Amino acid sequence: MILTRITARNFRNLADSPIDFHPATNLVVGRNGQGKTNLLEAIYFLATTKSFRTPRLASVIRFGESSVYIAGALRRLEVEKTISVGLELGEQRRRVLLINEERVTLPTYVSAMSVFAFSSARLEIIRGAPEERRRFLDRGIASVEPSYLDALNRYARILKQRNALLQSGSATPAALDPWDAEFTDAGGTIQKVRGAYTELLARKFDAIVAEHGYHLRGLRIDYRASSADDLRSLRREELRTRVSLSGPQRDNLDFTIDGRNASEVVSAGEQKMVVLFLKFAKLELFREKFDEPAIFLLDDIDAELDLEVLEKLLSRLPSKTQVFATSAKERFLAALEAGAHRRLTIENGRVAVTRDFP
Amino acid sequence: MTAPPLATLINELTKLPGVGAKSASRIAYHILKRTAGEAEALAAAILEVKSKIFRCSTCNNMTDVDPCAICGDPRRDPAIICVVEEAFNIATIEQTRDFRGVFHVLLGALSPLKGIGPQDIDVGGLLRRVQGGGVREVIIATNPNVEGEATALYLAQQLRPFGVRTTRLAFGLPVGGDLEYADQVTMAKALEGRREI
Repeated sequence: MILTRITARNFRNLADSPIDFHPATNLVVGRNGQGKTNLLEAIYFLATTKSFRTPRLASVIRFGESSVYIAGALRRLEVEKTISVGLELGEQRRRVLLINEERVTLPTYVSAMSVFAFSSARLEIIRGAPEERRRFLDRGIASVEPSYLDALNRYARILKQRNALLQSGSATPAALDPWDAEFTDAGGTIQKVRGAYTELLARKFDAIVAEHGYHLRGLRIDYRASSADDLRSLRREELRTRVSLSGPQRDNLDFTIDGRNASEVVSAGEQKMVVLFLKFAKLELFREKFDEPAIFLLDDIDAELDLEVLEKLLSRLPSKTQVFATSAKERFLAALEAGAHRRLTIENGRVAVTRDFP
Repeated sequence: MTAPPLATLINELTKLPGVGAKSASRIAYHILKRTAGEAEALAAAILEVKSKIFRCSTCNNMTDVDPCAICGDPRRDPAIICVVEEAFNIATIEQTRDFRGVFHVLLGALSPLKGIGPQDIDVGGLLRRVQGGGVREVIIATNPNVEGEATALYLAQQLRPFGVRTTRLAFGLPVGGDLEYADQVTMAKALEGRREI
């Protein structure tokens, strides 16, 4: 589905009035600090209930407020839908997800609208902690398989219980056994899915890099599942350290060139391109599975990106993809002006001018 | 300001499950409006339940006679024991009228996060019953969540030395539902537990 309108309340510096979008391309220009990224983040939050900038959701709530609410109007062909996410922090933590005014579960909610985001914060995929890469993988998998979120939740609960048992000091092999059966079963399911997705993603990535003749060849993407060869000896170690030492929470995704960590050999600009290619690869995997329009967010297009390649990438997007791009400088958005589009100017969190082209 | 006796009643009511401050005060004012006889009947019922209801010495069910009405029923088959987490789970299974065996209430499920280990639930009582002989099958009907599943695996492990048939309630698709609405985990479990027709 594509997004025709968004209404935010208490979301960072965004004004509360509704903003209408173009079904094809939306170009947002504004000086730094005016709220360009906030607008894309709000769209991402509406679609996923998460932020692409920070794992700490409290920071999206406007200072001094305790709750945030975003509603969106979606459309596909003649079907219209409204969705909204409300989040309340503080003493009573509450999250309310609605589709057409009816409460729904998270997996149902997130499958209503599919969004892929590129921003410089996503460079953490290459240079950040392993946790960033696991999140990157998990979100990709959830985009093609929403019920994967249930599997993740189930594993998280088992892991919590198992760690509590290890920390209690009363863990014995007999007490661990019943948890371990579930632990290996749920963990194994996740790792199997992660492995398969990484393989597909790496293949797509290679194809995109080759297609655009980008000079960055030989980048390897390898998934490393953390599993125990010898559960017994690992258990002895776990009883000592009092924490689970294997499982999906310790998996890694390696980006290497000639055996060296990509973040050490690749320049900042190239890292941006790698992340951009990865995002396009994710989008393609999604499109292969669903004949659904997706939403592509491109935050802060600047001189560091190879704009020629970006233009080619965008020109090959499936026509039903809705694009949102921001930049501080208008000239960087020239790559996106080929088709029908809307220009939005943002000032102090308020969309000031909108104009459609052609 | 609320008069102290009324405040005490409201305060006691808020300790009940599912009763917040608003409901507690509504209930308290409702009791005030009723006759003294009705209030006494309610108070007497509460006192009676506390003095006359206790746990069955065999299965831990709530009862006013020992053994309980189910354990003491000669038409029921004591060779089949259905294990549940809480006494109120018995009512759900009894509603089917299909089960003719007896029960065992564990009084909880394993949960290290809540500090509940095997010694905190009544596994010992179940093992003693099985050890006593005459048990052909133990049906484990703990909840189909993470904690209930671990509890089931733990029980299966403990029962293994006795050579008694141990079964787990089937997981699967809700009757009257559509396949397309089944989540991945339920679907996988349903496939795993498929049977011939």
